[in-house]
Amino acid sequence: MLTILRQILQRIGMSLLVLWGVSVLIFAIARVIPGNPARVALGPNATAEQVDALARMLHLDRSIFIQYGFWLRDLLRGDLGRSLYTNRPVTQDIAEFLPATLELITVAAVLMIVVGLPLGILAARYRGRWPDHLVRVLSLLTVSAPSFVWAVVLMLCFAYFLPIFPIAGRLSEAFDIPRTTGFLSIDTLLAGNLAAFADAAHHIVLPAIALSLSGIGQAARLTRANMIETYDKPYIEMAQAYGFPDGRIARIYAFRPSLIPSLTIIGLDIAALLGNAFLVEAVFGWPGLSRYGVQVILRKDLNAIVGTVLIIAAMFLIVNIIVDILTVLLNPRIRHGEARP
Amino acid sequence: MMTRLLMGSASAAALALMLAAAPAVAQNVLRLDEVPVGELDPALASDYADSLLMFNVYDTLVLPAQGSPGHVPHLATGWEIDGATFTFTLRDDVTFHSGNPMTAEDVVFSIERMKALGMGLSFLLASVDSAEAVDTHTVRITLSAPYTPFIASLVRVPIVDKTTVMANLGTGEGEMGDWGQAYLSANSAGTGAYSVTSHNPQEETVMTLNAAYFGEVAEGAPSEVRLRYGLEPATVRAMVARGEHDISSQWLPPEVMVALAGEGAQFLQESGTGAFYIKLNTQKAPLDDVNCRLALAAAFDYQTAIAITKITDDVAGGVPATGAVPVGMFGANGPDMAMAQDLEAAQAHLANCAYTPSDHTLELSWIAEVAIEERFALLMQQSFATLGFNTEIVRVPWVLFTERVTSPETTPHISQVFVTATTGDPDTLLYPMYHSSTAGTWQSPEYLNDLEVDALLEAGRTAPDEAGREAAYAGLNARLMALAPTIYGFDRNSVFAASTRVSAPALTDPAQAFGLDGMGFSFRLMTVTE
Repeated sequence: MLTILRQILQRIGMSLLVLWGVSVLIFAIARVIPGNPARVALGPNATAEQVDALARMLHLDRSIFIQYGFWLRDLLRGDLGRSLYTNRPVTQDIAEFLPATLELITVAAVLMIVVGLPLGILAARYRGRWPDHLVRVLSLLTVSAPSFVWAVVLMLCFAYFLPIFPIAGRLSEAFDIPRTTGFLSIDTLLAGNLAAFADAAHHIVLPAIALSLSGIGQAARLTRANMIETYDKPYIEMAQAYGFPDGRIARIYAFRPSLIPSLTIIGLDIAALLGNAFLVEAVFGWPGLSRYGVQVILRKDLNAIVGTVLIIAAMFLIVNIIVDILTVLLNPRIRHGEARP
Repeated sequence: MMTRLLMGSASAAALALMLAAAPAVAQNVLRLDEVPVGELDPALASDYADSLLMFNVYDTLVLPAQGSPGHVPHLATGWEIDGATFTFTLRDDVTFHSGNPMTAEDVVFSIERMKALGMGLSFLLASVDSAEAVDTHTVRITLSAPYTPFIASLVRVPIVDKTTVMANLGTGEGEMGDWGQAYLSANSAGTGAYSVTSHNPQEETVMTLNAAYFGEVAEGAPSEVRLRYGLEPATVRAMVARGEHDISSQWLPPEVMVALAGEGAQFLQESGTGAFYIKLNTQKAPLDDVNCRLALAAAFDYQTAIAITKITDDVAGGVPATGAVPVGMFGANGPDMAMAQDLEAAQAHLANCAYTPSDHTLELSWIAEVAIEERFALLMQQSFATLGFNTEIVRVPWVLFTERVTSPETTPHISQVFVTATTGDPDTLLYPMYHSSTAGTWQSPEYLNDLEVDALLEAGRTAPDEAGREAAYAGLNARLMALAPTIYGFDRNSVFAASTRVSAPALTDPAQAFGLDGMGFSFRLMTVTE
């Protein structure tokens, strides 16, 4: 147990180091993008004097090392600087936009797991038969089309031609819910408004499906491939020879060991949702961090670029750590110190 | 059994979600969209979305006259001009959203705040030497030199509630801290017909009609306005079709506009505030020869350029230009003098040019973010090839373009920009483009340096009356036509698709148009029917 704890702490330490490396890299890259951020921020009508004054205020007239020094000093005070895009502190923007994206990717991740894994099990269990063929075709279809295509298709089918779901936004106009956490599923419950909760859930269905479809296909394909490999193992043959029920063999003896290699990939897929959510957020008018991230890059909003990239990198690292912990829990050899996560 | 129970519960939950009754929507709500972000602080406002917020949440001392050039009193009841000194008498029946009365102190504070922050459109106040409250309802503003268009500049100087701002100063350098930036970026402190209920700069601003508004409010004006940001064209189309959205932004692709028109949408239009200009770098061979420039201007296919912007047979994103000054402004030529392609004249000018066209390759740039400019570039390539010019089409992102134009050597031979008059006055359109002191910005990649042009621009600023200004700008227009630093592509006509439940006279009736970008969206003058 202590070994595992030590390994996890090592991972966290390494993650902090990676985050620092990312901050240096993105700080430098953001400044290499052509264009004067002060000019972009002030708009086309600003005078040269205004542009110069803002550039001085942002320390853009100093060397990149001094700029990084200022940025690091502010970061240690919990200040990521001011966004030139929204004219607000970057921390305030992230606090406002991140929950919307996290809520969306959480639902998408749940869909990936609760739909993708059973589909993979089904395909492996009925290998070579019609359920397998059907799952493989569906998986291929969902993996090959990008999320934004699904977003537009789903919106047209289920919000436009067949108006079952809302077209855009997170909540209907009639509800005015205080944003305590930014997660509407929680805020609506905190407000004791079940109708608003249902409305928020109603709004998240299409974007979450659009975002999760390629992940569902990926999870199904991986699970199927790993389970088929496991099914060929001698101990499965032995279990079958002993007459264990098929369902039990599938769930316990085939699925559980097969999940371990899939877990890392699925974990990365979930972390990647944060970056992939941009177009889905754009189509469904979802005010999330991914949309914000793209806008700040286009406007060369230096502080916001660095802040957003750091958050995305941190998400990747957190998901990796969670995957490592899950792998430990699932793999008895790691639990007993015979292998590393 | 358990599985069946779970599945049953899940199905019931899904059904409940699908059938979640659409909650009752407030009556008389107007919904429209714009490009993000919406900047709520009026001292920082510069984009179109910012203007919509500014014109509805705040008021100004004067307003542009509807249907004609000139200005009318608004927060002011009148004004007197004595050289460089402007004295305004204020209304005494105006209150801010907070309930505080609007006084001369608020006007002085608003001007000082804009100047101190030095952002947004504060350059319009660069010539202000001092602003003082003579008494509760009288303000005296002194400029460093006579500047007649100053009255026009005031349409972009919104008056904020000093008491509220002072009570909400954030941290910053000096006694005034952040001058209330943090507060005003999230809250309204104006006298406008609408106050802000909620504001998310990337998602939506919700505004509610101010029942205590002092000015005219149309019967049936929207009680609530939802200004949404960054919606995709497909989303807007679906929402308008479902009756969940009322007015699109002007940036909707023409094909989506056409589709919406096919589904019964109407078009709202705003023109006379700017134009599409094709800028020629007058410092680079062969365009440093006026005859070469005149040849290109004559060879340009104006009619096809407008056809490219066409949405329907009757509506297009451009109307024929008649010169450097858009139709409707001081000094503009009449609509009967529309620019037209004349290849014979082009050949005649070319014969007088000192350069051989085939010896030069013209760098023809288009702004990467404005897709339609690529089509104009291809049109120019074709037109100029008939004169023997080689062209190289170059896609330039906006941020790079603003860098390149800072020196004549790096400025492309040909650049394309849409320019609008910030205040609706020709001075804010033409001075930044053509005065020799302003060369080297995105508005002035021509690098024109002509004493007569400079003198006429100064005359337009200092002529004491409208007749004098009209004469100055008419002379300037003629001079710019003779020098051809620019190909005057077309006058801009911004088009918005709207549902038929909206009536917006300022955007449909030229006699009620304001001649100022965004002011047609004064929601108090619109009506919405159920």
